[in-house]
Amino acid sequence: MIPVYICDDEQAISERLKKIISDRIMILDGDMGPVRVADAPAKLLELQKQDTVPAIYFLDIDFPGQMSGLALAQELRRYDPRGFIVFITAHGDLAFETFRLRLEALDYIVKGDYNEMSVRVRDCLVSIQERLRDEPSGQGRYCTLKLFDTVRHIPVEDILYFEALGYKHTLRLHMINELLEFNSSLDHFGEQLGEGFWRCHRGFLVNRDHIRAVHMKEQIVELDTGDQCPLSRKAKVEYRDKCKR
Amino acid sequence: MSLGFRLSVVIFVYILMGLGMFWLSVGIVGKKVRVKPFLIYAVCFGAAYLLSMLASFWLFGEETVFNGWYNVVHSLICYTIEAAALGVVIRQCYGIPYVQGLTASMLSHFIIYTADEVVGEAAATYSPLFDRMYIYTFVTIIIPKLWAFFIAFLAAYVLRKSGFYRYFAALFSGGLKTLLIVSAGYLLMFVWTAIDYFYPNAEPNALYAVFFFSLITVVLLWVQFMAMYTAGQEKIHVQEETIAQQQAHMELLEELQQEIRAFRHDVTNLFSGLTLQAQEGDLDGIQEFMRKTSSYFDEKLGNEIKQMDCLNNIRIYPIRSLLTTKLAAMRQRHMQGVLEVLYPVRESQMMETADMLRGLGILIDNAMEAVPEKDGQIRLVMLQEERELYIAVANNYEAEPDLNALSEKGYTTKGSGHGTGLSSYRKILSRYPGFVARTYLKDGFFVQELRMPMRTA
Repeated sequence: MIPVYICDDEQAISERLKKIISDRIMILDGDMGPVRVADAPAKLLELQKQDTVPAIYFLDIDFPGQMSGLALAQELRRYDPRGFIVFITAHGDLAFETFRLRLEALDYIVKGDYNEMSVRVRDCLVSIQERLRDEPSGQGRYCTLKLFDTVRHIPVEDILYFEALGYKHTLRLHMINELLEFNSSLDHFGEQLGEGFWRCHRGFLVNRDHIRAVHMKEQIVELDTGDQCPLSRKAKVEYRDKCKR
Repeated sequence: MSLGFRLSVVIFVYILMGLGMFWLSVGIVGKKVRVKPFLIYAVCFGAAYLLSMLASFWLFGEETVFNGWYNVVHSLICYTIEAAALGVVIRQCYGIPYVQGLTASMLSHFIIYTADEVVGEAAATYSPLFDRMYIYTFVTIIIPKLWAFFIAFLAAYVLRKSGFYRYFAALFSGGLKTLLIVSAGYLLMFVWTAIDYFYPNAEPNALYAVFFFSLITVVLLWVQFMAMYTAGQEKIHVQEETIAQQQAHMELLEELQQEIRAFRHDVTNLFSGLTLQAQEGDLDGIQEFMRKTSSYFDEKLGNEIKQMDCLNNIRIYPIRSLLTTKLAAMRQRHMQGVLEVLYPVRESQMMETADMLRGLGILIDNAMEAVPEKDGQIRLVMLQEERELYIAVANNYEAEPDLNALSEKGYTTKGSGHGTGLSSYRKILSRYPGFVARTYLKDGFFVQELRMPMRTA
């Protein structure tokens, strides 16, 4: 079961939303619930830790005199990087691109007409259900990355290879549909990820599961995405020895 | 003379010269002297001497040591390695581009050797032959080296105080300019080798000293002048750009004004209609009218005003005008550009404004190039957080970009001439440790993200 939280300081709104969400979950027969309501950000942060993640959050944009919805969402993301965040706003003119890109927020709901809200909630829940189905949670292994003060968990099967860039300990992580550059060392990830990855070159660490072929003559490791990594002489010898055995 | 004494003199000279070179070069590029880079350099310096010594021995044999060609070859190898090594050390430890470090080291080489040679020759010629070798050594070797170091120290102090490095960097803005200054530096480095070779017996009199010290001064002044001149040209260029951007901003304001005028016109008309309805007591009609017009203002002007607010939140003016121009260009090309800047973006980032300007410019240009002909959408987000600045540029696309090809040099979907931007973007980033750059595809959008840590005061 995926817990659902609502955080809004207006009781009328949160009660209404709670009813809508509960009804919709029932109709969808979703694996979600229970629906909890917090009237202040601090309370929600407390509640969050008492249950499992990932979770679904419906958050108000601003709480006068308290932390902003943005700060709250960032705080929530720390413990729940994969959770689903939906914002509730009084008017349509919120800076949603910021929320979508920075916090990977899912959508927003405009307070007001009951039916409109209900439709929007349904859309959100359906999309969450789809996303959950697409990514089997808790199955594969994860690679943890620390970027500033946040931690990111990347499914190992999404990783193609790590590449060391020439300057100052910068790594480029090649994933399916994503490139990420940050400060770290290949040795660190070599240790963390263990046997599933192969150091086919001083500056490359390849996910073995994604290797399609090793071309000895051209000194190239070909991946199933068509990408190519260089093969060092040392790794070539190592590879040949392993094949003989 | 005991071996111990000779050795300690050699080591002393070696350390003093190395330190002098290091000190002055670091002064030229405007950084603080630190111990670790110096030690690294000292090792390279020693290795260069040893290597060139061995190489010349091997080339000429032992008999011909210290004359004619031997000196030339020895200096050629030794100085080149030395300067190259210092360039590398400065690049690695201070993050200064290699050519700048190299030129700085060649210039300081020239200054120090000139100071040393002039005083050294004079001392060797005019000092009486002391019966004690120690004093002789002191006068002819140690004093000149100390003097050379003093000159280096002084020059470094003056250059750093005058903020020379700001101009110095401008010398390397063009390919030809860079080539010129580097080769000039390289030639200067061998002035003394040439003089020794052609005039081995020149008499170091007062005139001679005056000539060389004025040469140092002239070279320094020349470099300073060149640097200031180039920097001035750059400045003019930047100002021209700023003016163009201000103009774009003005245009935006004018457009807004036009819209407000049209809006005022509309409102007047609407209200006269409303007054009529009120007089007739048509309550339903009035309610209908209210419902229709409540969102009218928002629709009409909301976006422009929101965009203005976001632009005003950017407190770094060059960035603000860049975004203004780009948003105007997007409007012109019928792309839908959205800018969101929730909180004020301050200066004093980790990144220098010029680099941020270029980096952001590249990202936006790429986005504008990649959007489909019809219904192009670009979203720009800047978010100032406590510990970092978050920047994202997102665009929809016609053909799905190949992310892995993207990391290679010069990738583009639009044929040659485009796409060189991304590699310079990466080059800019490489100067700033601690950044996180992310490129990904999501929900039909191509997103480029940059997170820069804030400088912790």
